[in-house]
Amino acid sequence: MIEITETVARSSKKTVAVAPSDVAQIGIVAKYDVLKYLRSRRLLGMVAIVVLVILLITALPPLLDESYPDGADAFMNMYAGYVAILVIVGATLFAGDAIVSEFQNRTGYLLFPKPVKRWVLLAGKFLASMAAMFLVLLVYYAIVLALGLVITGGFSVLGVESLLLAMMYSVAALSVGYLISSIMSGTTGAQVLTFAMFLFIFTMVVRLLTVGDVKPWFILTFAGDVIGYITQEPYPVEVTPTGEGPIAVSSFVPDVGVSMAVMVVYVLASLALTYFFFKRREMSA
Amino acid sequence: MSEPIRIENLTKNFKGLRAVDNLNLLVKKKSFMGFLGPNGAGKTTTIKILTNLLTPSDGAAYLNGIDVTKDPKAALTNVGTVVETPEFYPYLTPNETLAYMGELHGMNHGDIIQRTREVLETVKMTEWADKRIGNFSKGMKQRIAIAQAILHEPSVVILDEPTSGLDPRGMVEVREILEDLKNEDYTVLMSSHLLAEVQQVCTDVTLINRGQLLRSGPVNELTTSTNLRRLEIRTIQETTGILLAKISQLGGVSGLEPLGPRDFGLSLTGGDEAQADLLTELQNLGLKVVSFKESGVALENLYMSLIKETR
Repeated sequence: MIEITETVARSSKKTVAVAPSDVAQIGIVAKYDVLKYLRSRRLLGMVAIVVLVILLITALPPLLDESYPDGADAFMNMYAGYVAILVIVGATLFAGDAIVSEFQNRTGYLLFPKPVKRWVLLAGKFLASMAAMFLVLLVYYAIVLALGLVITGGFSVLGVESLLLAMMYSVAALSVGYLISSIMSGTTGAQVLTFAMFLFIFTMVVRLLTVGDVKPWFILTFAGDVIGYITQEPYPVEVTPTGEGPIAVSSFVPDVGVSMAVMVVYVLASLALTYFFFKRREMSA
Repeated sequence: MSEPIRIENLTKNFKGLRAVDNLNLLVKKKSFMGFLGPNGAGKTTTIKILTNLLTPSDGAAYLNGIDVTKDPKAALTNVGTVVETPEFYPYLTPNETLAYMGELHGMNHGDIIQRTREVLETVKMTEWADKRIGNFSKGMKQRIAIAQAILHEPSVVILDEPTSGLDPRGMVEVREILEDLKNEDYTVLMSSHLLAEVQQVCTDVTLINRGQLLRSGPVNELTTSTNLRRLEIRTIQETTGILLAKISQLGGVSGLEPLGPRDFGLSLTGGDEAQADLLTELQNLGLKVVSFKESGVALENLYMSLIKETR
């Protein structure tokens, strides 16, 4: 690599004209993207949603004159099923417009002529999105685990496993969001498509495959169901129709190991494609 | 040592349209090069290639001897840019934006603080340093754009129509900043279609049209070498069609156009001698000349003649 060491002797206060390493620049990009999330109140908004969701779920049993589940894991299971929705909202807010906004909002004219590689920008932005998403999940699980401790008197170890799976799932969801952001031309369209992809498109595909008696193990949202299932003791088993009895359609349950592998594949494939499109994309308009 | 900016056989095609056509250009160290051409001439496309916003279809662009396409990080390290009035992150302040840009360029914390103060003072934005940019006017954003371009004291500054879209006062203020840049050690490439601005600010000029180089050199040399001047003439009597036809037949006259009942403009090929002869010939035609003056700047005459030639 060629390094520029020439400095301009304008005054005694000449600054260094050597760009930092790629790794250091990733940290810089991530730092200022997190600051943007904080200033735009997206992060604050997500935390507010988290608190609201927990309040609603916690308030529901007393309102219906029902008692809370006895065990800590069962208590956690009451909340774990909603994590996927939080991840979808998070992916929409933190990934949906991450790339496309630089082009549509013309901030790319400021950022792209800087001595920083496209993959470094992508990595820095993605790290910032991950940090924001992880913070949201940690807040959610911390509150729920604490509530479980207070209400049931026990700590849900399966809840921690659920958190780890939720973090993996969120990275995969962010990756898909980044991919959509790298190919769309408008921020609104990218965010709507990201949201719709998880809430409707993936869900419909899962339903259709299930009706066709094909296990949709390779669909991300299906793999993400492990976040809730992992808190069930014992782990649920699949039910398949035998030709006799009331069961007409299979009830598939994602395998934890396979689902984790699927998430990793989604992350790698989506980020590779995102980089491919981002690197080729020009500020032509 | 290699030139700060070197463009070799640069070509850029957009879906069948050739925006830049085999362009060659050299910008010498510490020169202030005006990059002129009509709308669609290829100025912005060339600058976008130089700043890694576009990839060339063919040819190469070098900054401080480094190919921008092959190693953009190294090529752009010692370069400051303002392209197409960039937008800023609306939730950040000028101080934060400049810190972000400075950190990407490898400036340390102390230098960032000191230089931020200096450049914001240069662009007269000190009092807005801690206000969010989202509420700024276009002129204010343009000044912040210039501030971030010179923050790290680059050896090369590339500006794409820096006064575009500004009100007259904003244009004057930005032009003053450009004059300040000229007095420092920067090598500047500035695209513009404001000929007076280029003649006022630049030491050198390059003219392009349809993506091709028309002329390049020092402003003084080019303006004196041009043999064409634009004249505006007012007479006592009205200039009828017959009279105008006769005037258009006079030696060296072209581009004759009526400007009013007693006013007309024309282009004249030739120097002072030809201009003096024309006055005599107009009087010989029976015209009583009230005023007889050169109009526009010399660069404009050269520009117009070259653009006409390539039409």
